Amino acid sequence: MPETVTPESVLAELETILTEVIGDDLLLDGPLTMETSFDQDLQLESIEFVALSEKLLETYGEQVDFVGWLAEMELDDIIALTVGQLVDFVASNASSASSTSGREA
Amino acid sequence: MSRFLFVVPPFTGHVNPTIGVALELRARGHDVAWAGVPGATEALLPEGSTFLSAVPDEVAAYVAEAGERRDDARGAAGFKFLQEEVLLPLAEHMVDGVDAAIDAFGADVLIVDQQALGGAVVARRRGIPWATSATTSAELVDPLAALPKVAEDMHRRRVDLQRAHGVPAEVAEAGDLRLSPQVVLAYTVEELTGSLAGTPAGEVPVRFVGPCAVGRPEPTDFPWERLSEDPAVPNVLVSLGTLNAEVGERFWLAAAEAFADQPWVGVFVAPDHLVPDPPPNVIVARRVPQLELLPRVRAVVSHAGHNTVCETLAAGRPLVVAPIRDDQPVVADQVVRAGAAVRVKFARVRADALRTAVDQALTDPGLLAAAERIQASFAAAGGPAGAADALEALVPVT
Repeated sequence: MPETVTPESVLAELETILTEVIGDDLLLDGPLTMETSFDQDLQLESIEFVALSEKLLETYGEQVDFVGWLAEMELDDIIALTVGQLVDFVASNASSASSTSGREA
Repeated sequence: MSRFLFVVPPFTGHVNPTIGVALELRARGHDVAWAGVPGATEALLPEGSTFLSAVPDEVAAYVAEAGERRDDARGAAGFKFLQEEVLLPLAEHMVDGVDAAIDAFGADVLIVDQQALGGAVVARRRGIPWATSATTSAELVDPLAALPKVAEDMHRRRVDLQRAHGVPAEVAEAGDLRLSPQVVLAYTVEELTGSLAGTPAGEVPVRFVGPCAVGRPEPTDFPWERLSEDPAVPNVLVSLGTLNAEVGERFWLAAAEAFADQPWVGVFVAPDHLVPDPPPNVIVARRVPQLELLPRVRAVVSHAGHNTVCETLAAGRPLVVAPIRDDQPVVADQVVRAGAAVRVKFARVRADALRTAVDQALTDPGLLAAAERIQASFAAAGGPAGAADALEALVPVT
């Protein structure tokens, strides 16, 4: 896991991950922002969601349960899902886990 | 002799596979008819077919108009639009018409497309034997497995639809309206879908029959003389299907650039205005005799519509798939996993990536071998005869 998990670091990491998942033409339409939507802007397909979840698992570990998070969503939530929401989700879960492990250390 | 009624939505890919099955049933001495949306559906059927309109003209007009409005909606938004604005209203409006068609025709068995669920509602309400016609394999493989809340919401709407039309609660709640517990005809093979164990379709009898779109009417005019006869200059078909050609503006430009100066002849199934300046080695035609053309091409670039993919594999040809929406990403995934296709991204396709993919489809022996392997399993699957056997088994014994 990255040493410090902040929304900024997650956004940067996500840009790298999504470039791997979608291809290097991801950024043809401009940089990834917190407002970028997965459905309308990135047109992320189900197979790419699977690849994204695998890469999130590799990067942040099991405490970032992307699959479980998606499973709680209704159709309108999926349609409206933004990069910013995912960034916040990753940042809050990854940092709470790292602070827990910090206390244990 | 028995009477088989096909209940279909007005979409080419959902009507075509029923034609081969219907012709086989007719050859065995049965009567067949189709019920659906007038105009669009009738135009797809062979001459002399019996068609019974199941909706008023204004519903037909609404469905046609909704199809045009839907052009921009892809992904999850496209799924919502298709379900809420097209399929559920269509199911609702077809119930009374299918009911009347059954009486007029005297149907013994219904064959209900997964996108014409009004037929399944009537079959359940009246206790008539029915088969599901799974014209795309995507509905078989549980694409919403990762989104249980969405799946549950869709199921609830299908239950409500049945309850609103007099299906008893215990019947409506049971199983899945998209999957007849009697038999599901799947116009594909398990090599493509993968195992259905653990999915809703794993709970019902699925008969894999392979593609059945033989005998469907095709346009006859085509500039055959422009195809290449030279094995060193292969022909390549490029098709985004009947519904999607217009959304491919960027795609067609990239495709024209990809084909320019290559030792290939391209057949682009596109409106002229979207390929304004085709290179000399590209034929642009709005409609083509696809079944007749496939043996003459060496690879197909496709939106991964189920029928085009299956017809291509039935001809033993590899594909480049660029899925656009609906079931296409799922179908594309299946054929890539089976080793018979290269995938490119529709929304951001670039000429160089497409050129590389086409070149691979034409030269990679592994892709060709996989396509020929699926071709062989299609040939062994039973086709229209296998489907007709399964349907005859549903006829009530009198």
